[in-house]
Amino acid sequence: MRFPLAALSIAAPVALMLCPVCGLTQNAERAAPPDFIVTAAPAYVPLAELHGQERFPKGAQLLLVHAGKAEPLVTGFRASADANVSFNGETVLFAGKRSAGDPWQIWELALKDHSVRQVMVTATDAERPLYLPGGRMVWAQRTPAGFQLQSGEDGHPTPEFLNPTAGPGMLPLAYTRSSTFPADVLRDGRILFEAGFPLGNGSTPELYLVYADGSGEESVRCDHGRPRWGGTQLASGDVVFTHGTTLARFTSAMAHEELIQAPRGNYAGAIAETASGAWLVSARTATDARYAIKMWTPGSAGMDTVLARSGEDLVEPVLVAPRTRPNRHPSGLHPWDYANLLALDARVSRDGDVKGKPVSVRLEAQDAAGHAIAMGTAPVEQDGSFFVKVPADRPIRFELLDFKGTVLRQEHGWLWARGGEQRICVGCHAGPERASENRVPAVLLRTTEPVDLTGNKSVAAAPGGN
Amino acid sequence: MRASSRRVRLGAAALAAGAAALLFLALLPGPERRVYAGSTPAASQSPADEQEYASPLEILLSPDGTRLYVLCQQSEDVRVLDTGSYEVIGTVAVGRVPRGMALSRAGDRLFVTNSWDDTVSVIDTRTLTVAATWPVGLEPSGVVEDAAGKHVFVANRISSDIAVLDARTGAEEKRLLAGRGASYLTLSPDGARVYATHIYPNLPPLRTGLENRTPPESEITVIDARSSEVVDRIPLHSIAGVFHLAVSANGRLGVVAEFHPKNLVPLAHLEHGGAFAYTLTLFGADVGKPVEIPLDELDRYASQPFGVAIAPDGSRLYVTLGGSESVLAVDVPRLLRFIHTRPRPESGSFAQDLSASGNYGSARIPVGHNPRGLALSGDGHKLFVANRLDDTISVIDTSTLRVATTIALAGPKTVSALRRGEQTFYSAHYSFQGQISCSSCHIDSTFDALTWNLEPNGFGRDIVDNKLLEDIKDTAPYKWNGGNPNVPTECGPRTEKYFWRSENYDARTLTDLAFYVLSLPSRPNRWRQPSGELTAAQERGKSLFERTADKFGNPIPLENRCNNCHSGPKGTNQKLFDVGTRKTTDNPGPLKSAPLTNIALTAPYLHDGSARTLEEIWTIYNPEDKHGRTNDLTKDELNDLIEYLRTR
Repeated sequence: MRFPLAALSIAAPVALMLCPVCGLTQNAERAAPPDFIVTAAPAYVPLAELHGQERFPKGAQLLLVHAGKAEPLVTGFRASADANVSFNGETVLFAGKRSAGDPWQIWELALKDHSVRQVMVTATDAERPLYLPGGRMVWAQRTPAGFQLQSGEDGHPTPEFLNPTAGPGMLPLAYTRSSTFPADVLRDGRILFEAGFPLGNGSTPELYLVYADGSGEESVRCDHGRPRWGGTQLASGDVVFTHGTTLARFTSAMAHEELIQAPRGNYAGAIAETASGAWLVSARTATDARYAIKMWTPGSAGMDTVLARSGEDLVEPVLVAPRTRPNRHPSGLHPWDYANLLALDARVSRDGDVKGKPVSVRLEAQDAAGHAIAMGTAPVEQDGSFFVKVPADRPIRFELLDFKGTVLRQEHGWLWARGGEQRICVGCHAGPERASENRVPAVLLRTTEPVDLTGNKSVAAAPGGN
Repeated sequence: MRASSRRVRLGAAALAAGAAALLFLALLPGPERRVYAGSTPAASQSPADEQEYASPLEILLSPDGTRLYVLCQQSEDVRVLDTGSYEVIGTVAVGRVPRGMALSRAGDRLFVTNSWDDTVSVIDTRTLTVAATWPVGLEPSGVVEDAAGKHVFVANRISSDIAVLDARTGAEEKRLLAGRGASYLTLSPDGARVYATHIYPNLPPLRTGLENRTPPESEITVIDARSSEVVDRIPLHSIAGVFHLAVSANGRLGVVAEFHPKNLVPLAHLEHGGAFAYTLTLFGADVGKPVEIPLDELDRYASQPFGVAIAPDGSRLYVTLGGSESVLAVDVPRLLRFIHTRPRPESGSFAQDLSASGNYGSARIPVGHNPRGLALSGDGHKLFVANRLDDTISVIDTSTLRVATTIALAGPKTVSALRRGEQTFYSAHYSFQGQISCSSCHIDSTFDALTWNLEPNGFGRDIVDNKLLEDIKDTAPYKWNGGNPNVPTECGPRTEKYFWRSENYDARTLTDLAFYVLSLPSRPNRWRQPSGELTAAQERGKSLFERTADKFGNPIPLENRCNNCHSGPKGTNQKLFDVGTRKTTDNPGPLKSAPLTNIALTAPYLHDGSARTLEEIWTIYNPEDKHGRTNDLTKDELNDLIEYLRTR
């Protein structure tokens, strides 16, 4: 009688080992869920901050979940949220308030002893911190124009790089008059961020990219439509995000999002990918239910609840584990107070080629009050190319004009270019899938001097130093 | 009793565990196996570390599928492996820097081109000995025998032609003009056609004044294998760098791997295919007019396609990606559906659509460093891939699209600094989204014959000709404007900011890379006589090069003599001069006197590539005699000067 039981006791763990290959991954994960941190809140209003509201109007608390048991991650805080684990898995950045009247501030916790330090002091809310490579971090800072991406040093000594990304000191990364929130740092070093679409004047949540020096701002994909937010990059390179209340992904080979066939439910915000490939997601089964943390193996039919708490929403799961450090972006910005933009063919657009012949392009910039100011026009060549010098670090947009001055096409929203940035656009809203054609744009055969649309005398360009 | 019970329990447990473990193993995807062809790691550690690396470049299967021939470029031999055991059956030493290999149709002879010896080794595959060594043209590369066994075709990289040899004697019967840098040859399955490709773009045939600002042009040279005549030249617009070509078993689909550079657009960033598209051109009855399709994706590039093979049933094609260290599998039916259902751009190219490959790319299989040649088994179930900078062969199970076995070739098992530097040189890992590596522009560690517009100097300004990397040690400063004092500066911060646009290597890797770059030798100069003596024309040219007075007896100022700026063993005094060649679009400042190493090979010339030939340097771009006193020279005298320069 005893020996079959004993044999079973040994065979059972072995059988558990088989689970991943038998499609029983959920059970294995259920037996040993990875450690993670989650934000628990009595009330959670997704996307409220994009509209100037509070996500956690009744406060929030970070929980550390170890072996299925949740405990407060930090003590002495009235509110804590937005955990981000360092690349070596040893520290956690988070947003916290010591007392109810404090603004959200950026703090860092050491996991080995749970000691906490304030990374910096700001007068207004600072939220959603993310570690950047090279001893820096990015967060959302409340400003009169809404939350804005900022980067600064994370307070840790760093090896001396051949070319620091940016800084030292604080560096605004977004220059638009609407809120922007960091969502993830991609492996290629770019910052994935959330903002309304069209950028600068729209309200549909959308995902964008920017380099760690604030240059190269663009939409991740241009199949705009339903709200997209809470993006996370997986080990495969895909970016998974919440699409409305379902999940979808961007995959490298496709110019449009791909819906994920996940179990029915309302999903919220970012996911976390475990080492086994399963996902920790925040989901609820009905709109009047609470968000819980569930584990789902992509492709499987069901998912398991890993953590649920009565009267609280659980969101933003983050694994407590080392992870691959993204690449550091080596800033190549020149020491200029303007930027140069070259359009290869302004006629090309995802919206269809422009009707009519554009002969000039008009630049508008937003002033401090948000008013559109006409900065001047520049000729568009026969091949659709133009080359302009534009004001840096402020919202700008272009309009294509025909010979009568009629607007043939204008940009949906606003963009920015960093001081010292030299940027090439394949077309106007051509989409990230559109690669450049190998030809010299006609404008560069005519002149190598950009038309100055900055509205002021700029500092002369420094000699090239490549 | 208790001991017995414990034994029983342990026995049962062991049985259960063993059964479970077996089941576990059986259910796992096939684990990758590593086998050693010729030596074990332990056995080879000491003595083998003194050997050369193998650097397998090309591989072939014998017609009966029992043998794998591996062309090892660095150890300069062909290794013959049994495809059942992957044991080495034999090793045949060949000439210097072998580059191409082909079997006779019967499989009894193996032809190997020795690119630095200008010969072909003919190996008797029964005895595995070199039966003959045939002299051929300059830098033989690709080789193929026709189906009748009558002729052997050899692509000569330097002379840019195809030599047609008598297959029995090796006697050359004729030369056929091919594209510049002719390198790879493929015989169609029906034996009717030989296809030739080339790695450098053809020089513009007409002078327009904008030669250095026009898209590169390449071609597939199509040869009638029976008449040994060129019957077609399939143009490859905007392509510079064309590599292996494959034709489907039914002859209806031809595929060639190629680079599509963006050298005419300012290199401001890498996203959206800013520096290169990596593409295939398809031709044949299945596609109608030739069409170019991209292999890249929006966020991941298929850097430096080289080898290509089509499955026997035509269902898939495979491409080695030398810079991406992987093999790409393409679904052919989906590819053809894409081509026939999408409106075809007027240019015949889908290269501008980075989402195109999502319609036909089926898998990317990681392999070793710098995968190059590949060979499919006759049944299409196994794909062999030569990992040149790992000294391994990956054996891919095409049903699972995973590496099933990795064959380690005999040789050093430690990775030297030089080897690490070479791996870095060829890896696109460091650039933004894996788009480019040093070897994207310095093909085979040479150059690409293109001019580029680098962003920091201004859009449309300072167009620069890409330079040959051979023998550049002790020629600092680098760059045309002499802006970089040494190679680590050239390859370090500058490269990180303005080329890779992503985090660079660590200091050790940079040191290794610089070590490799500075170690690159000069290939043999084909214009020098074996005796070292100069021909009469070369002697006359040398006199002109060294003259101190012009033909009218006027002294030539020191700074205007050829052998002043182009002095020393490498033809440069490493100083900067204004020789009157700057254009209005160039930023001010003098230019470095360029080394003359193998100058005959490196057209176009001048800092911006505006001179198509050496002669144009003086006949068009030296009106005021600032670039040496040359306007007193006759056409014949300029020819003599060029004859001498070619010996440098």
